[in-house]
Amino acid sequence: MYLQIGIILAVMVLVYALAKWRKLSIEISMLSAAVAGGIAGAFPGTPPVSQLARHLVEGAFTYLDVILVFSTATIFMAIVSESGGVNYVVRGTIKYFYNVRIIALMLLMIIILIPGALTGAGSVSLLVVGAPVALALGYLGIKKRRVAAILFIVAGLSAAAPPVNIWAMILSAGTAIPYVGFELPLGIPVLVLGTFTILSLGWRRERKMPLDTVLKEMPEVPAGMSWWRVLLPFLAFFGLVIACRLLPFSFPILGLPLEFVVAALVAWLVSPIRIKILSLSRDTMKRLLPLLATIVVVGMLQQIMTATGVRGMLSFAVISTPLILLFISLAVIIPVSEGVLTYGGAAIIGIPLIWYLDSIGLHATVAIAGLSLLWPLGDGLPPTALIGRLSVMVSEYKDSYWTFLRSTWLPWLVITIVGILMVVFSARLEFLVRWSI
Amino acid sequence: MSREWTIKFVLLAAVAAIIVMAGFQLYNHRHYRTSIVTGPGVTKVVKLSDYSEGLKGTMADTNVFFLEGKEEGGTVLILANTHANEPAALLSALILLENAVVDKGTLIIIPQFNNSAGRNTRPGDGYPLYFEIPTDWGSKKFRMGNRDASPLDQWPDPDVYVHYPEKQLLSFLDVRNTNRTWPGRKNGPLMERVTYGAMQIMREEKVDIAVDIHGAETMFPVTNCIVAPDKSMRIAIMTSLTVKSRERFDNHVESSPSGFRGLSHREIGDYSDTMPFLLEAPLPFLDQPTGPKTVDLLLDGKDPFLLSLSKKRKLFVPYDETGWPMEKRVGQHCSVTLELIRQFSRKYPERTITIRNVPRYAEVVKNGVGYYYHDPAKTDKKNVYIN
Repeated sequence: MYLQIGIILAVMVLVYALAKWRKLSIEISMLSAAVAGGIAGAFPGTPPVSQLARHLVEGAFTYLDVILVFSTATIFMAIVSESGGVNYVVRGTIKYFYNVRIIALMLLMIIILIPGALTGAGSVSLLVVGAPVALALGYLGIKKRRVAAILFIVAGLSAAAPPVNIWAMILSAGTAIPYVGFELPLGIPVLVLGTFTILSLGWRRERKMPLDTVLKEMPEVPAGMSWWRVLLPFLAFFGLVIACRLLPFSFPILGLPLEFVVAALVAWLVSPIRIKILSLSRDTMKRLLPLLATIVVVGMLQQIMTATGVRGMLSFAVISTPLILLFISLAVIIPVSEGVLTYGGAAIIGIPLIWYLDSIGLHATVAIAGLSLLWPLGDGLPPTALIGRLSVMVSEYKDSYWTFLRSTWLPWLVITIVGILMVVFSARLEFLVRWSI
Repeated sequence: MSREWTIKFVLLAAVAAIIVMAGFQLYNHRHYRTSIVTGPGVTKVVKLSDYSEGLKGTMADTNVFFLEGKEEGGTVLILANTHANEPAALLSALILLENAVVDKGTLIIIPQFNNSAGRNTRPGDGYPLYFEIPTDWGSKKFRMGNRDASPLDQWPDPDVYVHYPEKQLLSFLDVRNTNRTWPGRKNGPLMERVTYGAMQIMREEKVDIAVDIHGAETMFPVTNCIVAPDKSMRIAIMTSLTVKSRERFDNHVESSPSGFRGLSHREIGDYSDTMPFLLEAPLPFLDQPTGPKTVDLLLDGKDPFLLSLSKKRKLFVPYDETGWPMEKRVGQHCSVTLELIRQFSRKYPERTITIRNVPRYAEVVKNGVGYYYHDPAKTDKKNVYIN
């Protein structure tokens, strides 16, 4: 069995490497690896060759809900941006807080944290508020590379922030631990680490211009744009999210995609300029296509890896690691699993890991919270690099992706240390759970 | 046509062929119908929608089988396929359904409780679509389902599931999980209507005990056990001790946590007079660190990775080269269910339930599961329910 699965894994890695060598895109390379793995697995009948097509198609639907959220949220934000709302917000932020740097930075951090905390998706933070925040940070004299780094780390933390943390929810559901008591074990580190990130990466002002010059340089805002025109679509979105939470038994379940669609329609209706909604949506989807393709292919890869036993072998390798080494290797294992499998990593590695840690007397809720801080880091790692690529996209950073990633090293290191220490000392931090309930 | 367009056309045709082939297989899986043969004890078959009107005409509606004794007594409700990817539950329920004769009291069985989940697959997890149980007359084929109901039947999911009525926040997926939606609501999401229907059965039919049958990973602490709240605890402990001493298998007792909402062993007890029990048998197929997810792994539970982890004491059940075959799991469920009923009847003699003709652990292990199933082709059609 070990040899059989080892050969299949080797075939997948080899085909992926060959595809990259031939300069094929990440999506095509991953698809090639998935198909090759499936074909290699079909020889010993894992999966049977008659089921190969079904596994590929079924796997493609693994993250359909994420794809719908991405698509609708991006269209929503594109309409807000096209209407001049983004430029209006940036202008306002700069106008009022340009000279009170610490408040401006903290405010911008909280603006990024909120959408992700409410939806559990850092991508939503970036898609909804990423572009205006990036512009504002730029005008505060921060280099684009550092802006992208701030966006990436803080958007990742927003996904880990309570009340909605998808990794913790997957782990709670999979380990039969109630999704309660996470407010403080997640909230405190997210706020502390977010503050550390924005101050360490954003405190240094690379250039300073007079406020008047900055305001002159900034893009023009369409006539008729006002705060209420900007706020109304966001109020519609957050209003629907909050209504579902406050009136759960009388308010219909809309789901995030429909909530974004409603918000997009509101943004379109209140826009001071006429927007061709269909052509804008088409262009937005074109821009988003590589990202969506990645998510589709990750699902296929995950399905093939499971059907062939590769996924199980990787999970086995993690669980078999000696405890001390395991704690240290969390710094690599957790982000890499997210980079390869996105949320799938939480299920494959996280669930058995939490059971194991629970069985040796560690506190499962705090340990899940600690791991939740590490998973978002993997969203900057290839092959998926979902949040990293979005951060680069919304901040309009044009240089090498690796240069951007390198600039995140300090908050990355601190977050890793905090996350691992939370796991190791989870039993002692149990009071955070008690205080949350 | 240029070379580029030729390549694009060929790729498009290949993708279309793959989608059509896969679509056909997935459609067939969703609409595959399993024959359920009713045995001599079955006296009445109704629909769950008779108790929860909101299920009428939906894929979540399912058959409810009554086995009524000649003498009055207590009532027991058996739920299987709450999670349709834990098939020992369905197989155990069918053994009861096809063979049990009730002398006293009433036995109610819902073998495909989450009918929608039974017609769903699990994207990303590489499950087989079907599995077959060998019998004396051929093999009996079953759909392999999913833990959650199909999004084709209940969609969209909320961004977070707020449990009714306790308002505890649960994973968004749990809105389609019939072991998180108890006690349910008449007009709630579809799966809340399913659990509401079962709660109505318990209230209207004065059900004394409810047994919800499951399977769990070998790496999950709550496995190979009976989960019970305080009100059911004494009977659960007596059952555990009795099967251990008389039938030589372990099935420890776990206490139902009061702070974790939506589970059958918690909400049935809190929102009705019924005593709930949730049975877990080890199901290596569900473990993450296993080899390929094959039908063999599902049926025999043998896996080299789990064997290695067992030697490192990282599993919560004994595990050796023999794995955890289906016969053992189904046999345990049959014995534990019968013993729960016996212990209840001893404690409440005025509500005694007497059932015969159901095999216990040793018999199922010896004869195999399929031995107890009847050939639908040779059974009177009025006794065959196709779902």
